[in-house]
Amino acid sequence: MVRLDDSTQKRLAIAGAVVTIVFSVLLGRLWTLQIIAGEKYTKMAESNRVRTISLSTSRGVIYDRNGEVLVDNRPSLVVAVTPSEVENEDVSFRLGKLLDMTSDEIKEKLEDKAVDPLKSRKVKYDIDENIAVYIKEHSADFSGVEIKVESVRNYSAPTTAAHVLGYLGEISGDELEHNKDSGYELGDLIGKSGIEKQYEEILRGIKGFQQLEVDASGKVVRILDENESVAGNNLQLTIDSSLQQATEKSLEEAIKVAQRDGHEDANAGAALVMDPNTGEILAMASYPTFDPSLFIGGFSSKQWADLNDKSSGFPLINRTMMCSYAPGSVFKPVTYLAGLMEGVVSYRSTFDCEGKWTGMGESWPRYCWNRAGHGRMNLSSGMSNSCNIVFYEIGYKLYKAGGEKLQKWAHEFNLGLRTGVDLPSETKGRVPDKAWKKKFNEEHPDYQAWVPGDTVNLAMGQGDLLTSQLQIANIYSAIANGGTVWKPHLGKKVLTAEGEEIHEFNREKVLDIPVPEDIIEKLQRDLRRVVVDGTAKRAFEGFSLEVAGKTGTSQVKGKDDFAWFACYAPLDNPRYVVVVLIEQGGHGGSVAAPAARRILAAAYDISSTGSLSVPDKSR
Amino acid sequence: MKKRDFFEWVRFIDFSLIAITALLVAYGNLTVYSATCSSQTDPFFYLRKQVIFTLLGILVAAGIVLLNYNWFRHYMIPFYIGNAVLLLLVLFVGFTTYGATRWISIGFFNLQPSELAKIVLILTLAALLADRKGNIDKLSKLFIIFAYVGLPLFLIIAQPDLGTALVLVAIMLGMLLVSGLKWQHALLIFGVVILAIFLIFQFNLLREYQMNRLVVFINPNVDPTGAGYNLLQSKIAIGSGGLFGTGLFSGTQTGLKFLPVRHADFVFSVVGEELGFLGSSFLLGLYFLLITRSLAIGASAGNLYGTLVAVGVSSMWLFQVLVNIGMTMGIMPITGIPLPFFSYGGSSMLINFAGVGLLLNIYARRFK
Repeated sequence: MVRLDDSTQKRLAIAGAVVTIVFSVLLGRLWTLQIIAGEKYTKMAESNRVRTISLSTSRGVIYDRNGEVLVDNRPSLVVAVTPSEVENEDVSFRLGKLLDMTSDEIKEKLEDKAVDPLKSRKVKYDIDENIAVYIKEHSADFSGVEIKVESVRNYSAPTTAAHVLGYLGEISGDELEHNKDSGYELGDLIGKSGIEKQYEEILRGIKGFQQLEVDASGKVVRILDENESVAGNNLQLTIDSSLQQATEKSLEEAIKVAQRDGHEDANAGAALVMDPNTGEILAMASYPTFDPSLFIGGFSSKQWADLNDKSSGFPLINRTMMCSYAPGSVFKPVTYLAGLMEGVVSYRSTFDCEGKWTGMGESWPRYCWNRAGHGRMNLSSGMSNSCNIVFYEIGYKLYKAGGEKLQKWAHEFNLGLRTGVDLPSETKGRVPDKAWKKKFNEEHPDYQAWVPGDTVNLAMGQGDLLTSQLQIANIYSAIANGGTVWKPHLGKKVLTAEGEEIHEFNREKVLDIPVPEDIIEKLQRDLRRVVVDGTAKRAFEGFSLEVAGKTGTSQVKGKDDFAWFACYAPLDNPRYVVVVLIEQGGHGGSVAAPAARRILAAAYDISSTGSLSVPDKSR
Repeated sequence: MKKRDFFEWVRFIDFSLIAITALLVAYGNLTVYSATCSSQTDPFFYLRKQVIFTLLGILVAAGIVLLNYNWFRHYMIPFYIGNAVLLLLVLFVGFTTYGATRWISIGFFNLQPSELAKIVLILTLAALLADRKGNIDKLSKLFIIFAYVGLPLFLIIAQPDLGTALVLVAIMLGMLLVSGLKWQHALLIFGVVILAIFLIFQFNLLREYQMNRLVVFINPNVDPTGAGYNLLQSKIAIGSGGLFGTGLFSGTQTGLKFLPVRHADFVFSVVGEELGFLGSSFLLGLYFLLITRSLAIGASAGNLYGTLVAVGVSSMWLFQVLVNIGMTMGIMPITGIPLPFFSYGGSSMLINFAGVGLLLNIYARRFK
């Protein structure tokens, strides 16, 4: 037997060592993959194998108070494109020609960052059936393009109650982040404004899902788990759709008439009808308006920019509760009550109006809108004639009494706080006081001091006071019902998809204003006088309904006057509070009051709607 | 047979190598079956063929054992030339799958001459090196070795079959090292390899898929749905196996076909998924025993030729196990090197059994 030499033996031993090292490395790697990272890979294996598909659900229908459909759903043919599956540029060119879109528009949709890059992007909704058939028949020319049927919102009347209903849009990254655990996915529609946003949870429904086991080619092997979709609940609103339409019409007419009468900057306004006994909003109109159906399928960035451009008049804004304004003379009832309750004036107090007031000294004169003077006035005639001298006097007396009494009374009506209406983005308004003014003018030390003129301005509903139209409606509602501020609301009932009632929105008391009944009754009487023989007399001439209200003409620096009218009717058993505001529409008595009359006429089906505009010079 | 004769006979047989091989090949057949039994058309299609290959392999091994391995030494030149001709034939009459031309049809069987080249090279190099009594101290003598390796290497690269070409290089290196390669020459070979790699990249000699595999090896996350897909799926399958695995026939990544070429190149991943760390490390243990046992046979061989043949076979298996299993776990680039006794395929099965036959032969004749 030949023995191997020692060096060969040694080299074989080295080879054995190499083998051992190689196997140690392999074993170490195996340990890392299976034991240390095993869980991670198990999860990856699951996500390989299990596909969860969400099943669509149908969004709840929104009804008006009488059960009329305001918005429901309809199927829409949608062209969707999965960019990763598009084989060449020609596809978007062909698609553009077919859908009448520019290649830039298509490109914008395809490059939408908000959509999962591997998912399809919806390029156009509501395409013609012939186009859908064409694309399907020529599928080879349209790689990555598919035709889907999506459920979209169906509006009974395009612009009716647009601001109330709001619109839907694809969920944004931020919204997704905020609603992490609510089951939203990219591409889902979500309420972006109005009731659609406010009651998203009620309306959206619960998407079902299917857990599928798939093989490597994506073929479904079996269903692992399944959960059916639950349709969203239906919602009944307090809106009365015929009154809503009448309100919108009256508002638009009033704006047009204001323009015709020389207030050419009048281009916006708002009108509200509320039930003073419950806070139910029966009609809520804002002008300019928009068509929520335009939001189906989303906007191009240009369309969106147009809608938010100054020249458009910002139609998406709900001017009844998102904006705050100087209320002008419609605020005078608050000053009136403050004066009486604080004891600075009484019903026997008299005021001499010579058109000019020098209560704060000769160097600080103020004027009445009626430069000729009203002569001898008292609280009652001061209200009906909207005599400024009377309210300057009250304001000045309240100032001298100290303690920010007028602000206190503004707060008694819940001004400076949100009304709590069930709509998103409500404004708080502003009740100015010493502390506020100091802080507001932090940078301008000369303007920090609260001066008598500030309180006098406030008494007139001017100065730095800001209220939303809805807050004004609250004031008149409380006056009408004897002193209670109810929370304004639009939700009436929640019903299941089958129509079974599951929730009713009851009226909610916000506060009672601490005013004795007899004083409120006197205020009611004086507001009635405004309509009978005061500043709103002409507007309501020959109107069969007993209306009580107040005109207002608020001044905004650099702009035409804002026309207000706030009222309620019928006098004895109030059912409607109506507030109309025409931005830069001139005098309240001349355009706003006639619009309110037309709204009330529609509510009572009264044929005598009066003139569209009447002369009024009051402020 | 007398009792004494029986023990005489038994002394010639390496039962441990036989047992290791039997376990490996049974384990392999079972795994191939588990990897392919979800086929709708014929769940036994691959198993049946693999079993036939195994049986043929046993015949090959038995045939080789009956001959004296030293006999091969005398016919080295005809074998070498015959194999070269076959490799050349592949380039002209071979048929192509997946962009590579590797097979020639010999009627009932598709022969892969590049597999055969491995054994032929082992026998050739062992003869050359043993003739020189392991004396390869001169560079000129080394070049003769390189020339012998170069011809089949070139023909195989031309197919292209980079994986098998690399196996040939590994066989050469293993045999040279055990033959007593000088460290200066080892360094030189290392330098040449580096230069070759440099030239390959410099002149863009790699095909696109080869380049992609390298990119993926360096950065596995670069293209998880494209070039990195196979590796990622393999790692998922192995990693998800955990300690015990999902059980044979129950691997979801295997059964639902997420795992690519699961009966051949990625067969180890099936073991990883279905039998977990226990089953996989058991398999690694079997390979460790196979290779160390082969080296031990080499150490006990009756002559240097036998030692070198055993070292060649061991090098082949070590390299294939390292590259194949390493590839499935992402520590080696993806190449189409089969896992010995496991990966589905006839030629490689026969060649591996030929290796076992040679080893048994060397063991049996160790006393001479």
